[in-house]
Amino acid sequence: MLLLDYQNVLIQSVLSERFSGAAPVSIDQTVSDFDGVIFHISTPESKTKIMISIQIRCFQDLLRHGAEEVLNREYGPYVVPPEPGYDFSIVVDVEDLPAEKEARDELVNKIALLKRNVMAAPFEQAYQEHYHLKAEASKFTSEEAPQGVREGGEVKAIHYREEEAIYVKASHDRVTVIFSTIFREETDRVFGKVFIQEFVDARRRAIQNAPQVLFRNDPPLELQGVPGVKNTGTGEIGYVTFVLFPRHLTPQRMPDVISHIQTFRDYFHYHIKASKAYIHSRMRRRTADFLQVLRRARPDQEEKERKTASGRTFKVGS
Amino acid sequence: MVSLDQRASQSLRPYLQAVRSSLTAALCLSNFASQTAERHNVPEVEARTSPEVLLTPLTIARNENERVLIEPSINSIRISIKIKQADEIEHILVHKFTRFLTQRAESFFILRRKPIKGYDISFLITNFHTEEMLKHKLVDFIIQFMEEVDKEISEMKLFLNARARFVAESFLIPFD
Amino acid sequence: MSIIREHTQATLSDAWRTIDIDALEEDSPANFDTATLRPAQQQPEVSEADVRQLQAQVRQLLRGGDAEGALRGCLEAPAYGGSELARDAALHTVIEVLQSIKASDMTPMLRRIYGGAGGSECLDVLMKYIYKGMAATSSATGGAPRTPTRMTPQPTGFSQIGPRPGASGESTGAAMSVLLSWHEKVVEVAGLGCIGRVMTDWRKV
Repeated sequence: MLLLDYQNVLIQSVLSERFSGAAPVSIDQTVSDFDGVIFHISTPESKTKIMISIQIRCFQDLLRHGAEEVLNREYGPYVVPPEPGYDFSIVVDVEDLPAEKEARDELVNKIALLKRNVMAAPFEQAYQEHYHLKAEASKFTSEEAPQGVREGGEVKAIHYREEEAIYVKASHDRVTVIFSTIFREETDRVFGKVFIQEFVDARRRAIQNAPQVLFRNDPPLELQGVPGVKNTGTGEIGYVTFVLFPRHLTPQRMPDVISHIQTFRDYFHYHIKASKAYIHSRMRRRTADFLQVLRRARPDQEEKERKTASGRTFKVGS
Repeated sequence: MVSLDQRASQSLRPYLQAVRSSLTAALCLSNFASQTAERHNVPEVEARTSPEVLLTPLTIARNENERVLIEPSINSIRISIKIKQADEIEHILVHKFTRFLTQRAESFFILRRKPIKGYDISFLITNFHTEEMLKHKLVDFIIQFMEEVDKEISEMKLFLNARARFVAESFLIPFD
Repeated sequence: MSIIREHTQATLSDAWRTIDIDALEEDSPANFDTATLRPAQQQPEVSEADVRQLQAQVRQLLRGGDAEGALRGCLEAPAYGGSELARDAALHTVIEVLQSIKASDMTPMLRRIYGGAGGSECLDVLMKYIYKGMAATSSATGGAPRTPTRMTPQPTGFSQIGPRPGASGESTGAAMSVLLSWHEKVVEVAGLGCIGRVMTDWRKV
């Protein structure tokens, strides 16, 4: 359980069971995912028609960056008008499933990846922009390229959590992904720093082809002038920049890279929390050791057997 | 690297030895009723109401970041320890650890709930403690505590770095 | 009626609750005259000039290779009751002498001093200087623990593993280790009573 799964395991297991030919039952289940995403699996009309709805806080941001297109491409025949209170819904009819098991499993996976797919839209858009800019740039030398090509595309902001956001920006030679992340307390901040430092160094040390990782406390240059980015100066917010190079930007690698980079924020915080938990358990154990040492300072209270004159023994109530 | 470690452990031994002998000399306590409040018996080193029963405090320092302050009095002594904190990570680990301990102060008998200013952790030993516990074992406890805390902090820091490295590499390898 | 009002006026503020009445009472233990704890025949005040003079003599002896004489000279004229400056200067003189003596010479020298006339007294004084030395150097630079709020990326991750970086004060660490080894040797020669007398003696260096 080192890396996080891209799909939602709960949805996957519920649907696999339904699709495997079990008797239809009515379902009404709410499933949570990272970043405050909520899924709703229900059978509103009949037991055979399963509706899956997603509620995601940055849906408006995503629509602006082509989410609809991606969703229609992925779930085209299943899309229905969204359930009230949710952003996007699909309905799958159990009686109308593909015949082969492989195709059914694929459908399950696809639905379990709903969050991943909806979040992928801005990244896909950035990839397309990058291809476009690259083609443009190849017509010029670097000095005389027109302003638009040299600067790259606009910054796409996805406010996927209350105070945190992902920014994606395409250029002709790279795609930059910036996570703004918040450290609630001093310990998280220090632990986060240790972890990030290793991300930064990993490329230098072991994995030469990894994306470049940069870290800073104030907004990076790319984010200047982007609304909603403010420099608090407290060090509470950190900006983690991933620079994806052309080798990561090939169309073949696109789906994997997008899936993987999305999990960064949750992966990162998950391991900070896990380290804190481990250190806590260590301290608990060490404290028990200290108590043991201190207990040795108390002389053993020997229970002396007292005898009466006639040789009988009795216990003194303590 | 080896020589550096050796030098560190060489200066640790006289430091702990000095703490041990100072503590042994200072742990010479007797019952003493409060002179200000009748039928009260308070640790004079905390109450500070009678200047003549407070003795000269002793400082044992290994360097400016590691030192022990022993404040003796007629019926109680207060031992405060400043633990080495070379950087931000160690600072936070020391803070977490000492907080963890002081929250369990009642089971430690001699642990003070709050360290005195400028130190990370304080102990308060009264004549009642020395009456029911063995003095040399109490001294052993303090010494062992000082040794183990340093070791524990180092190990936790190494663990954190190792985990961070492993986590970072695992995340970045799929990009390779 | 009026009395009651005055009374409530006076109690409007709670400040009076925190007055330490013990401090105001002449007979209270808090006002114990600690001057009576010092020996009756008070030595004359040590002035800064005296200390300077002593320092010069001690340096002379050190240059002449008579470290033992220098140490004894310092310890026989402790700076009791002098001004802060005079006492600090005296401390520096002692530390200077202590640092100039080789580790292998420590124990024999201490044994000779201890065996001589007033030797026990001399080593008590030495112990006082050792504790004062450790207190002075450690409190001068070590303030409240720093709590940085901003993260500054470390230059490289390689420094994160390996040995923990040594404390910033390498030089104070070296000075401390001299005092610590002297401490150990004095306890060896003069026993724990020596520490006890440092704590209980009201004549402070």
